Amino acid sequence: MSDVSELFEDLFVGADGIMLFSPSSSYYQAFADLEDTDVIVAGQENEHGADSFVELPLAFEDIAEQLTFAIEGALDDGLVEEGDELLCGAKLFDEDDVDTVARVRASEGENSGVYDLFTQSRAEPSVIRSVFEVAIELGQKGQKGKPVGALFVVGDAGKVMNKSRPLSYNPFEKSHVHVGDPIVTVMLKEFSRLDGAFVISDSGKIVSAYRYLEPAAEGVDIPKGLGARHMAAGAITRDTNATAIVLSESDGLVRAFKGGELILEIDPENY
Amino acid sequence: MQVDQALVEVSHLIQEPIVLALLVLVFGLLLGLAIGRINKRILTAAGIGDAVEGTAFERTARSIGTSTVALIARVTSWFIYGVTILTAIHISGLFDAPAFWVRVAEFAPRLLIAVLVVIAGFILADKAELAVSERLKDIKLPEIGILPLVVKYSVLYIALLIALGQVGVNTTALLVLLTVYVFGVVLIGGLAFKDFLASAAAGMYLLLNHPYGIGDEVRIGDRQGIVQEMTLMTTRIENDHEEYILPNRLVFEHGIARMRN
Repeated sequence: MSDVSELFEDLFVGADGIMLFSPSSSYYQAFADLEDTDVIVAGQENEHGADSFVELPLAFEDIAEQLTFAIEGALDDGLVEEGDELLCGAKLFDEDDVDTVARVRASEGENSGVYDLFTQSRAEPSVIRSVFEVAIELGQKGQKGKPVGALFVVGDAGKVMNKSRPLSYNPFEKSHVHVGDPIVTVMLKEFSRLDGAFVISDSGKIVSAYRYLEPAAEGVDIPKGLGARHMAAGAITRDTNATAIVLSESDGLVRAFKGGELILEIDPENY
Repeated sequence: MQVDQALVEVSHLIQEPIVLALLVLVFGLLLGLAIGRINKRILTAAGIGDAVEGTAFERTARSIGTSTVALIARVTSWFIYGVTILTAIHISGLFDAPAFWVRVAEFAPRLLIAVLVVIAGFILADKAELAVSERLKDIKLPEIGILPLVVKYSVLYIALLIALGQVGVNTTALLVLLTVYVFGVVLIGGLAFKDFLASAAAGMYLLLNHPYGIGDEVRIGDRQGIVQEMTLMTTRIENDHEEYILPNRLVFEHGIARMRN
């Protein structure tokens, strides 16, 4: 006869580290006292002051995506090494406490640059996160129930402004609003029916709407079938150090471009 | 006939000082109780209970089985009880030392205010400490912990000074100390923040009037580049090789040259 813990032993033996996803305080404390195993906390905020912490910029619905992102972040920050076996404790059904454990092998190979998108971009991570949130919300609800498209160019605003021209008067002229301010989401939604791109500075200030981007488009490699908006997004990120976040009007997906490449593709319905 | 007689007797009885004093005493105690209750309601409705949540004073109050709101309400009740008892004693004429009681009666309200000031001072000091340390939370520097404490004890010091002044203690020496302290803070602060103030004033103008905006190519002094960011304190300009973070006062010192291409 073997009991349950014996049967599941394979899962736990020889793990190099533990990763907890937004654990409660008491749950984390119980793990923090472990002597020979590293404990990494992943979550939206480091509320327990853990030494090893990976910030999750979005509230991932899909656990697998969440794990991949966090491990990529841990690899980038040097918290774990290539080939380490990690025990990941996450919340799948339970809202309050960890109820799921997965054993995952950290590997550099599938580094998609998603984590870099947030932490290594010119703009601050919180700004990129706020723009993502606006794009996702816009993708879920649309403008007055109809699907809309939008293009946000975040960071390196000076260069972007130099490589673009206004299509009409800039509604954000002489204003000092930042993404993430509560009223701004509504403003961005309203202005998203205008053609052209939004330009947002490193610190999140909305510099302009209605911009026609004029980057050099040669050498931009984006998947075939995407439209002019995506092409413009890819091209401007190749020409400048900006990050572009695009909401597609036709298929409703939110895509992020950096360095002329498609980095991240998410479906707003999943968030 | 009988009723009339009873009424006369009652009115005679009330004229007796000792009975009158008892009546005043009962009335005063009831009034004190009622005022205490009403006070508690008002303080709770005004959100004082939530506002002091988490301060050291509130925690101390909780640990001895009460709360700030209850404490303030009780202090006012006690004050009314005290005045009542004094009045009753005075009316009953049991003790005949008018000069002493008059002084006590004069002193009591000031003592009440002093106690309230001390309580308010403690709460304010805790709140200020919390607010400052919250602001400095992101700065991971152990020595920074001294700043919230300095703020806390400054507020406490002033509160104590006011309270002592209320009860008539001679506070001249303490006042001199406060003056020296404030003078020092203002002088050092003024010296240290001179440039900040100049930059902020210039930044205010720049943000309001927008002589240049993000994306413009400008030259400030001998630095030239594309404007990337404008804030209250600084302007960030960048060229192909370097990124300059310029205090806004430099923009005013050197003037701005806008490049035309």
